[in-house]
Amino acid sequence: MADTIQLKEHPILITLRDVVSGDGFLAGITLSGRALVRQEDDGAWWMYGVRPSAIADSGTTIDEAFSRFRTRYKEVLFDMAQDSRDFDQFRAAVEQFFYEPDADGEDEHLWEEALKAIRVTKCNPPEPFAHLPREAPESKPAQITVERLNRADARFKPSDNITDTYSVPMAHAA
Amino acid sequence: MSASVAFADIVKMLEKCAPGHTIRLANHSRVIKYNNLSYPSLPKFDKIEMGHIRKMARHLGILDCAKKFGIA
Repeated sequence: MADTIQLKEHPILITLRDVVSGDGFLAGITLSGRALVRQEDDGAWWMYGVRPSAIADSGTTIDEAFSRFRTRYKEVLFDMAQDSRDFDQFRAAVEQFFYEPDADGEDEHLWEEALKAIRVTKCNPPEPFAHLPREAPESKPAQITVERLNRADARFKPSDNITDTYSVPMAHAA
Repeated sequence: MSASVAFADIVKMLEKCAPGHTIRLANHSRVIKYNNLSYPSLPKFDKIEMGHIRKMARHLGILDCAKKFGIA
């Protein structure tokens, strides 16, 4: 069995799907993002957003941190829907939120460095990350889609449904 | 629960570290804007956990200054 790697910042891939009502529109938002998870000195697990950057939340376990991070993200979407006069303004606000990096790009740099460390050592993630799904970041680029759902040509399929997930990067490139 | 800081102390820090910033109350969160950057997810509680402040300060590019106030 491969050794585990000790990291201060744990890189995470997140997938979230939301349907949000706005003033005269219904929007579907699908996020494929990045976050760093870190256990702070007081023992709390914090999930710090990388894409999107301007968000964080915590918990006593990584599951709780993800759950609270997810709720906070949803609330940001709700606020943006409340503050947007139409769908185009909502989409612009959500895309700006997702693609705006922190002032010096530090978190993105830390995420890439943590991934590099995993790849160089080819080690398994430590507890409590060991049992999370593993995915290749290369096959899951950071991106967000904001789609208007209330349009005449909209087609809905069961395959549109996506489960909220968080996963760790695979120790080898896809 | 993580260490928390009173929102009033965060405002004092922002006045020194982020001159010209704006704070807007949205339905669920506070929206902090500074230097063409936006932090739309600061909780609306009276006391805010350190991790939120740390992330906001890093996002807005004022982390070193905020650390001098001992709240990041």
